[in-house]
Amino acid sequence: MTNTDSEVLIKVVDLHKSFGDLDVLKGVNTEIHKGEVVSLMGPSGGGKSTFLRCLNLLEKPEKGSVFFEGEDITKIKKQKDLDKIRQKIGMVFQQFNVFPHLTALENITITMTLEKKIPQAEADKIAMDLLEKVGIPDKAGEYPGKLSGGQKQRLAIVRAMAMEPDVMLFDEPTSALDPEMVKEVLTVIKQLADSGMTCVIVTHEMGFIKEVSDRILFIDEGIILEQGTPDEIFNNPKSDRVKDFLGKVLY
Amino acid sequence: MGPGIIDVFKEYYPIFLKGAVGTLKFAAIAVGLGSILGTLIGFIHLSKNKVVSGAAGLYSTIIRGTPLLVQMYIAYYFIPMAIPALSFLSKEQCVMMSLILNSSAYVSEIIRGGIASVDIGQTEAARSLGMSAGHTMTRIVLPQALKAILPSLGNEYVSMIKETSLAGSFAMYELTFTKTLLANKYLIWQPLFIIAAIYLVMTVVLSGLIRIFERRLSAGDKH
Repeated sequence: MTNTDSEVLIKVVDLHKSFGDLDVLKGVNTEIHKGEVVSLMGPSGGGKSTFLRCLNLLEKPEKGSVFFEGEDITKIKKQKDLDKIRQKIGMVFQQFNVFPHLTALENITITMTLEKKIPQAEADKIAMDLLEKVGIPDKAGEYPGKLSGGQKQRLAIVRAMAMEPDVMLFDEPTSALDPEMVKEVLTVIKQLADSGMTCVIVTHEMGFIKEVSDRILFIDEGIILEQGTPDEIFNNPKSDRVKDFLGKVLY
Repeated sequence: MGPGIIDVFKEYYPIFLKGAVGTLKFAAIAVGLGSILGTLIGFIHLSKNKVVSGAAGLYSTIIRGTPLLVQMYIAYYFIPMAIPALSFLSKEQCVMMSLILNSSAYVSEIIRGGIASVDIGQTEAARSLGMSAGHTMTRIVLPQALKAILPSLGNEYVSMIKETSLAGSFAMYELTFTKTLLANKYLIWQPLFIIAAIYLVMTVVLSGLIRIFERRLSAGDKH
């Protein structure tokens, strides 16, 4: 299934980002279409996470543009306008980053009530439905300290979903999990992807990438070295770098 | 040797109590106003503007890096002389000011450290959800930072109780100054032990209260 014919949701043009002397992104260009599931693959330090974090401007690129639904968000001056955009770009982090001083339910509702002015009762209902969907409705009143890693990450996913985003960014969502919790989180992401949510995923779970992706971007040394369908990347990689990488990560 | 410690305390306890009250008052004002000023300076120190942030850092480095007694001398003798606009300040207010400024520098570090102790991921998660910078600070970062800040502020109050003893050198009526008052009555050594004992009681009781408070805080700890 490819969705490359559908409307462009995110367009990245000549994206550059450096930290001090270190050039992490050296001119990335791509388009992400509505409903598409795009996975970023490549060696650590190659720029995958930085690329992802530029999409919602957690990192400010030095050069280039990020168009979201037609608007160049790197040009946004007013913080409030950027906050509005970020509500439409959900993000899930490696370290979960759930709010430890709030219950699971409050983790989900706080931004809805504060920034979208949704009444508390309505927000609570939406949050309960979401917790139900990821199988942890009984944890609504618990603080994150009482949740397992997998439950925290599922909470983080629905917390982002509650803002009704148009795209979800996943930054190594399973890398900090105990091995036996990886599957429950991947299952939730898979369900999201199957439901038509546009997803951009950085992960080292090769089996998952193969199964879920419409398109894979191989990012190394700050550029998209190669891209294609899972079949093209896994079975017929063009560049030696990709062949070499796959040879090392696939058992 | 003269009369014993207990006899001296029995006879002059009002003087010691008045001194203890003075000490608590000095410490409370110093930490109270110092906390307000220190919070401000702490936030300025966290500012992205390097010049402003650097100035706040320099302030806290200088104050924390020099003895309080020297700062008091400067406030007591030099400031009223050098800055005529401040000559309306009483001698007590000058000493008080140096205590407040001193406390503010320590508090600013407590605030800065407390906020910096909250994982940056918390801020990133909140901002990625589209939460405003203001709400991110007041609803996400500060509530978590308070866990580190409040006990440290309590400890600052305990330290300040001891630091205010220096105000006695400027004839301010606080606990240590009572030794000077009683020296007139040829009581030299007894008051010192009484004074030390009262300081000890105050700091131990206060530390105990802080510990209880801290336990409550961590009982409500949801991590």
